[in-house]
Amino acid sequence: MLSNVKRFTTVQMMFHFALIITFMLLSVTGLAWMYIETGWGQSLASPFGGYIGALEWHRNTGLALLALFAIHIVYSIWNIDWNNFPASLLSRDSMVFQWRDVKDVFLHLGWIFGLSKGPQFDRWSWWEKFDYWAVWWGLIIVGITGLMLYNPVLSSDYMPGWLLNVALWVHRIEAVLAMAHIFTIHFFIEHWRPHCFPFSATMFEGSKDIRHLREEHPAWVARLEAEGRLEQVLVAPAPIPLRILYFGVGYALIGLGVFLLVFGLINVALLTLKL
Amino acid sequence: MITRPQVRFGMALLGCMLVLTAGQTFASAPNAYEEASSGYFRDQDTLPGTYLQYRQSKEFGGSFWGLGPGGGDLKRSSFNADAHENIYGYGVRSCVSCHEENRYDLHSSRGQITCIQCHRGRPIAGVFHYYSAMNPIRRHAYVCAKCHEGASASFATYVIHEPPPLAAATANEFPLFYYASWFMVILAVGVFSIFIPYVLLWGLRELIARFTGRRRHNHA
Repeated sequence: MLSNVKRFTTVQMMFHFALIITFMLLSVTGLAWMYIETGWGQSLASPFGGYIGALEWHRNTGLALLALFAIHIVYSIWNIDWNNFPASLLSRDSMVFQWRDVKDVFLHLGWIFGLSKGPQFDRWSWWEKFDYWAVWWGLIIVGITGLMLYNPVLSSDYMPGWLLNVALWVHRIEAVLAMAHIFTIHFFIEHWRPHCFPFSATMFEGSKDIRHLREEHPAWVARLEAEGRLEQVLVAPAPIPLRILYFGVGYALIGLGVFLLVFGLINVALLTLKL
Repeated sequence: MITRPQVRFGMALLGCMLVLTAGQTFASAPNAYEEASSGYFRDQDTLPGTYLQYRQSKEFGGSFWGLGPGGGDLKRSSFNADAHENIYGYGVRSCVSCHEENRYDLHSSRGQITCIQCHRGRPIAGVFHYYSAMNPIRRHAYVCAKCHEGASASFATYVIHEPPPLAAATANEFPLFYYASWFMVILAVGVFSIFIPYVLLWGLRELIARFTGRRRHNHA
């Protein structure tokens, strides 16, 4: 039965999956280096052949992620509806923040406190847009500083060497912010809050149950129905074995994130870095 | 016959030669600064000038509208040939017994570099002493490049003993380091101080909606 609504294309799911893999590799190797003075950091580094190997993996994975980001920028520009530009940027299918999103934040807060009915989200809710653009801002900060630190001898030919001090701390704080955000806020909103618990496979499956979407994105489903396009985007849910695979892979990655967060917090007192 | 003016001229010539020869001998002897150091850089260097040039030069924090390092106090002993002259009990102390703040830098805690691998030689010269290997005019070549092949003078301005980025004194010592770190910390703390209470209340709201049996989500 066609009970799911198509939400992401295969290319979009591949972008997200490649982002997960590179982000996790960067998290493990980056934390391994940051915590190398501790036993935990050394054990994180050991699968990569110690800290030298971990740093090598960190550098190469970072380049891979930046390449992915560059491809994504081209993809995003390619996918803009140029026939209706610039109005298309403010369409209801657009990821661009709009005035409606600001109102939605307050309506959503009102619903949380039981004061209002709550927003009727269209295709993208404000937190989905925030999570999307947070990757842009994070990658710009971490990417620029990461490139500066990639080869310090070379980069200091084009800038004062002391900018490396600045770059390293900015890189570190932004990386900790990104990891902590993904391993708590992102996991909570997408998987752990009661309405999604225990796991939402939308980003693996590409589609979501229409009953769920009528509650979370009612304006979008209503719009698809009104435009008579709903039938075109209805798909069957993934077969059970695939869903088990999504759950297994998803929870392995969530578990890795939580492991990094918890052990990072436990070991933070052993660090000699001084803020 | 030799005239009196000719004798005078000859005497003067002899005198000049003596002076020149004496000058030659004098110039090849080590000068006071050099005598106190290894003398290793004698062939390359000119005589010491004013120390203030380091605080104004492009390589030493003077660029980028004064946002770089070098704004802190300079110790007088940093200009001495023996930076630890007259320190009581110096011979039996470890470096970090006094320089505690430099105990854990990336180079020492992660690279396992010891102090004297960079602050080399005995006695240890102040980093601004003219003949010190650590002097900014040659630090990149004589110290950094031992491990970082191809290190430039710009590379050598990386602050090994970086101050704590959020400490108040850092605003003066290394302004960009201080403000950039604070900006990032405020960004991070800002994101979490908004999102953590937000999602906790949100989760609680969904839990209540579930137990009160109303329709589960936000248009209930």
